[in-house]
Amino acid sequence: MEYPMKAPNRNDRSTRYLNPYLGGVLLGLLLLMTYFITGRGLGASGAVKSTVVATVNEITPEYAHRSNYYSQFISDDESPLNTWLVFEVLGVLAGAFLSGALAGRLKLKVEHSPGITAGTRLVAATLGGFLFGLGSQFGRGCTSGAALSGSASLALSGFLAMMGIFGTGYAIAWIFRKLWV
Amino acid sequence: MKEELFVSGRNIPNIDPHLNIWHWQIPLYLFLGGLAAGLIFYAGLYTILNKEKEFPTAVKLASFIAPPALVIGLFMLFLDLKHKMYFWQLYTTFRIESPMSWGAWTLMAITPLSFIWSASYLKEVVPGWDWKNKWLDRFEAWVIAYRKQLAWVLVVLAIILGIYTGILLSAFNARPLWNTSILGFLFLTSGLSTGAATIMWMSKNHTERKVFGRIDFLLIVIELFFITHMLMGFQASTEVQIQAASLFLGGDFTVSFWVFVIVLGLVFPGVLEVLEIRGYRIPVAIPALCILIGGLIFRFIMVEAGQVTRYLY
Repeated sequence: MEYPMKAPNRNDRSTRYLNPYLGGVLLGLLLLMTYFITGRGLGASGAVKSTVVATVNEITPEYAHRSNYYSQFISDDESPLNTWLVFEVLGVLAGAFLSGALAGRLKLKVEHSPGITAGTRLVAATLGGFLFGLGSQFGRGCTSGAALSGSASLALSGFLAMMGIFGTGYAIAWIFRKLWV
Repeated sequence: MKEELFVSGRNIPNIDPHLNIWHWQIPLYLFLGGLAAGLIFYAGLYTILNKEKEFPTAVKLASFIAPPALVIGLFMLFLDLKHKMYFWQLYTTFRIESPMSWGAWTLMAITPLSFIWSASYLKEVVPGWDWKNKWLDRFEAWVIAYRKQLAWVLVVLAIILGIYTGILLSAFNARPLWNTSILGFLFLTSGLSTGAATIMWMSKNHTERKVFGRIDFLLIVIELFFITHMLMGFQASTEVQIQAASLFLGGDFTVSFWVFVIVLGLVFPGVLEVLEIRGYRIPVAIPALCILIGGLIFRFIMVEAGQVTRYLY
């Protein structure tokens, strides 16, 4: 029997990724919809932050309550995990998995440039993620929360964050180019 | 002094206004009991249908999970008891109108039988296994000769066990959320679904995985139908039932129920199963894990939310 929708050919790259410009427009529309439905923008680092706060609060509650930073996210009524960003990120994971399945590229692998090993890539990505997490808390948001959602609401800080993130990226990309090309 | 307590006569700690007697042990037992019921049901069913060769995981390999699941589940029930040393008194009587009695006796029968079932396949699963005892060898030969009859007994007991995991709650008629007869079938369906997900995950056989993927999809649809029906039934009932349903429709359990049980535990794995049926490559562990975690969270929510609901206001 012929199914109306066939699984794509795994070797055919054209079906594997969406056109990035189209992806950008869709992301913008998604942001608009998020504002419309939830009354606030998208975010990602907030979910990580909530997870960290919840973990610290579980392991050493006294320290979490004493700390100026952690204590602002803790309330006696509900878990720090009970924020919409945590659920949004769960949705992102599920959605990304579905999109990968539809494009036929669900496979456990480490993508890296031929010049480096998978181990180097993992270490570099972890270090990068660590720095980005730190920076996102200093800057009160990451690419999605501060730059994307911020600039969409025409906040000056949003444009500054956008320029800061991508400007720094351009400026130092050459130094770390071996990790990519 | 708290005079209002004398006037109302409602100073009943841990029972009024909210029940506070069942903790994590009960939902964990309900999950393990349902999972074991599902696994035993498929093992028996495919034996009765003479399809042991086509479904080796369902009949043989996965059946090895049922005995430890039952033993851990029973231990959880034991942990929950206030007077632990009196548990044996359940076995001094059989009361046909008591779901506890049904459950206790069903577990008493199905646990040793599930051990015997798995043991009879030990030689096939573990090559070179030797009982080193002629009585055990003879007993094994006897069990193998009467496997089909044993399968019938196990299928019936598995259905009773699966329904019982829901009836245990629904027989508790003082709590509106639990007091619905759909709960027995809902829990049976959920148990069969977690069992099918486990078999699908363990199986290396392509046809078997495909069949169990389809079974699981069907069970997800039935489960969603039962849940919709349950909520609709509550909504069409008296104020206390409407209050009970409102816990899931805007109340305290809305997010956990809809996100973890409905979306991530049923709809998402359901979509993945459809994609798999249509020929997409899906790592089977993901839908299986979603269903198992969703089933576990479902029981935690039902036990927790049920204790919050009440008739008296």
